[in-house]
Amino acid sequence: MKSKILLLLIVIHFVINAQTKISKSHSYQQLNCSTCHSCQIPTKENPCLRACPRESMIRIDQKPEEGPRILTINKIKETDIYEPVIFSHLAHAEMAEISGGCRTCHHYNPPGNVIACSECHGLQRKREDVSKPDLKGAFHRQCMNCHRAWSGNTDCLVCHQLKGKGKLVSQNKELIVKRIHPEIKAPNKITYTTNATAGKQVTFYHNEHVNLFNYECGDCHKNDNCVKCHSKINTVSTSKKSTKELHNKCSNCHDTNSKVNCSFCHSEKEKGPFNHLVRTGFDITKFHSKLSCSRCHTTKNKFSGLSNECSFCHGKWSWDNFNHKITGFILDETHGELECNSCHKEPTYSKLDCSDCHEDKSYPKDKPGRLIKRL
Amino acid sequence: MVNESRRKFLKLTALIGASITGLSPRKLKAAPKNILDKNRMGVLVDTTACIGCRKCEWACKVAHNLPTLPLESYDDRSVFRNMRRPDDKALTVVNEYPAKRQEEFPINVKIQCMHCDHPACVSACIVGAFSKEEIGAVVWDTKKCIGCRYCMVACPFQIPAFEFNKAIQPEIRKCDFCFQRTKEGKLPACVEICPMEALTYGKREELVKIAHEKIKLYPERYINHVYGEYEVGGTSWMYLANRDFVELQFPKLGKNPAPGVTEAIQHGIFAYFVPPVALYALLGVVMWINKNRKKTVEAE
Amino acid sequence: MENFMKPAPISKKFFTPGVIILTGFAVIGLIIVLIRLLFGLGAVTNLSNQYPWGIWIGIDVAAGVALAAGGFTTAALGHIMHKEEYHVVVRPALLTAMLGYTFVALSVALDLGRYYYIWHPLIMWNGNSVLFEVGMCVMIYLFVLYIEFLPIVTERFIGRVNLPGFLKVFNNPVDKFLRLLDRTLNKVMFIFIIAGVVLSCLHQSSLGTLMVIAGPKMHPLWQTPILPLLFLLSAISVGFPMVIFESLITSKSFGLKPELKVLSNLGSMVAPMLGIYLSFKIGDMVIRKTFVYLNEINIESILFAIEVVVGIIIPLRIFLSPKLIKSPVGLFIGSALVIFGVLLNRVNNFIVAYNPPYKFTPYFPSIGEIGVTLGFIALEVLLFRAFVMIFPIVSVPQYITPQTKFSVRGA
Repeated sequence: MKSKILLLLIVIHFVINAQTKISKSHSYQQLNCSTCHSCQIPTKENPCLRACPRESMIRIDQKPEEGPRILTINKIKETDIYEPVIFSHLAHAEMAEISGGCRTCHHYNPPGNVIACSECHGLQRKREDVSKPDLKGAFHRQCMNCHRAWSGNTDCLVCHQLKGKGKLVSQNKELIVKRIHPEIKAPNKITYTTNATAGKQVTFYHNEHVNLFNYECGDCHKNDNCVKCHSKINTVSTSKKSTKELHNKCSNCHDTNSKVNCSFCHSEKEKGPFNHLVRTGFDITKFHSKLSCSRCHTTKNKFSGLSNECSFCHGKWSWDNFNHKITGFILDETHGELECNSCHKEPTYSKLDCSDCHEDKSYPKDKPGRLIKRL
Repeated sequence: MVNESRRKFLKLTALIGASITGLSPRKLKAAPKNILDKNRMGVLVDTTACIGCRKCEWACKVAHNLPTLPLESYDDRSVFRNMRRPDDKALTVVNEYPAKRQEEFPINVKIQCMHCDHPACVSACIVGAFSKEEIGAVVWDTKKCIGCRYCMVACPFQIPAFEFNKAIQPEIRKCDFCFQRTKEGKLPACVEICPMEALTYGKREELVKIAHEKIKLYPERYINHVYGEYEVGGTSWMYLANRDFVELQFPKLGKNPAPGVTEAIQHGIFAYFVPPVALYALLGVVMWINKNRKKTVEAE
Repeated sequence: MENFMKPAPISKKFFTPGVIILTGFAVIGLIIVLIRLLFGLGAVTNLSNQYPWGIWIGIDVAAGVALAAGGFTTAALGHIMHKEEYHVVVRPALLTAMLGYTFVALSVALDLGRYYYIWHPLIMWNGNSVLFEVGMCVMIYLFVLYIEFLPIVTERFIGRVNLPGFLKVFNNPVDKFLRLLDRTLNKVMFIFIIAGVVLSCLHQSSLGTLMVIAGPKMHPLWQTPILPLLFLLSAISVGFPMVIFESLITSKSFGLKPELKVLSNLGSMVAPMLGIYLSFKIGDMVIRKTFVYLNEINIESILFAIEVVVGIIIPLRIFLSPKLIKSPVGLFIGSALVIFGVLLNRVNNFIVAYNPPYKFTPYFPSIGEIGVTLGFIALEVLLFRAFVMIFPIVSVPQYITPQTKFSVRGA
């Protein structure tokens, strides 16, 4: 009996060890095992990895310049028809910037460095595990998705040149090295004329969404590809799109279902730029104008749910933890050690009421101190 | 006299009966190779991945020594204006079906022999020139074929083609799953060249699993139907698509093997040659009775 | 003895205007055959990868086999049921069957892409193939028919062997051989007669099974698992009408008095057979609920209706009328309609009902195909005429006592 227990303990020890000795890249990541593994105890022999996509755990955020400038794809040698393809990685990375960044193509990357496609996609088409495409298939599936949408055709000679036949311009190494995607100029303001019954005008301040609300390109343009700008086919007229499709981009953050909210974006004439007082009733120009939005709106892309009461962010104030000087008003000695609510009855501390102590005095005719220049 | 003739008659009848029944076991075995190997190979065609580059058409022709235009000419997409079918000059063709919505891609469908698990052509061929091999391929033997074209009548997918314009040794032409190449350990030519690996070559059993996994993973990309999993009892080539297969001009077929009813009738009529021999015996008895009746009448 | 009917060669002028026209058709047919052999099927036919079988299979083979059914039905009646009064029609029916099947074989050979491999099924067997079974049965039956015909040949030549030139020395041995052959055949003929009937039943039905494998490619009005039964029943139904039809034409052509009594008796047997055939056809339609397809007016539904109404119901009414089956006109029209019905049924089954899922141009027979079909029919009629004039086939009234004892076969 004892020996059995011992044996069991040894087995358990090994099992636990096997689990804890996962390669280092795993260990420091806060990952749920079941994101990648379908079974309880994955081993090296049987990692029981889940099939792609595992988008939830993609961890690559590099700048285009950090990647290679060009790549020569010469790993696939099964068919002997074409020359190796010279791929302008930089130009493509720059193009991808606007939509999904690296993950547009590196659709699955475990934590750590960027790994080569051939790490997962085998070179041999004839293979045991055919559940994911081989390298040739994987490459083409990445390329053709955009190339096909962009040019409307599938000509192989756009990227490939036949063995022993003249050089393609697109395959000229010197030109490719220099190739970059011109900087994409973001618009400041776009005015849409919609066919909504009330409020035909929608004014979209692109610069505000980027600079003020700190959205990244991919947040909105994730599903956009080259066609967005380079379409050779006529784009679908908006009249054919459903209301839901038209609101698609906005409904990620704005509630477009509720009828009450229409006027938030729609109006009869062009709307002015974002104004915190107008939008929310809370004036930030006085004391909060230098703060970044995220100082208060701590959850990314979520801007609602804050109260205009000062204590919501600042906690409770009293005479000893609040320096009244920063409001541009120094209290005199008489008033310096009073509780705040002796004079400020409201939680926004905006108004001043002297009637508690003085029957004949009122602000701003009589002042409980002196005005100075604001700090 | 009567007795003698009766004895003679019975002897002869028995002799003939025996000689015909003697044939039966041999005849029943006389069927072409029709193997349903557990590890037979297949191809899963993902029509949502196919881009219609038609490289498979080119590779197929090269692999089968059929005349072909240069590779570059296959980029021409104007051929998609017409629906095409495989014939004696092209064992596989790709057709295009327009996209339903502008932001979608058109659907391309490669057509070739489906390599049925229970092939109608193997069952139908008068000389057993077709056979279903272990590897899954349904192949045709030029040494046997007499050119009757019954395979073309029988095929539920309308695949076998015939060289109508040849007077001597016209051939039945259809995709042979690159039987020679796979024998040498190579891939079928179309599978090898496909840039998108829209054609996945593997064990049929596994492909079925993969197909269903794909459908589960991308429910918005595929309809929940693996064409060829059950059609006419299952085929080696199977298809995934994002719209009803009828819209892609796939024939709507039941789950029963195509030769099923016919073979049931055929083997019913010839069940160990009992029915024909019984009929023979019955007619013999009738004839004998009638003849004797006549003779008795005459004798009286 | 003046009413004694005995088969004898008919001596008449072979060439008549009709025969010359038929010869013209035959020659044109043979020229097209030559073109087909030299340049392939595509050169003369409208066959395609969509429509692999045309009228050469539908009419020449399928309908040919059905219309030669007179051979086995009269053999069954005359020999197996032993009704001697019908012996006058047995020989013409036998000749029709023999010529018919010979041309079926020729048509098959012509339609085969590799006609020179027609012997392959003899050694390369596929027991699952209906076509294999049909082919084997037809091949054996053709052989049986030739054997059944042999006594007529021996009868014609025994005692009359007259070889030309130096071959004269063989006259005696040949004569002896013929007599021996005749004696042997006389003893074993019943084997072949029964075999002929069994083989006929087998392949007449299997001809129907042929199209079952086409499954959904066949129009549902015709596609049924009982197709073999329908084929067998229709073949049996068309057997006697074919004999009646051809007997009436032969008598007319040679200026003989038709054997009206025998033909009427034959005719009286047609109605029950047609009735059974019709009931199965309608019953099948009701059970499979295919009558819904008759609601849509198209080629298929119209031809199906014609097949049933003109080909079965009207002749059934004719053959049920005691008055009409006693008149040559009634018999002729009734028989002609049954023949037309069965012919149309075979064409429908093999061509009209065949509806491939992918088609570019619908099939219609080319001039070449029609030419060969007509040419073969013409050739068959010419050969029939020639055989009747050479061999003792058609029974004619006899006034002289027979010269030999080999007079009536199977008595």
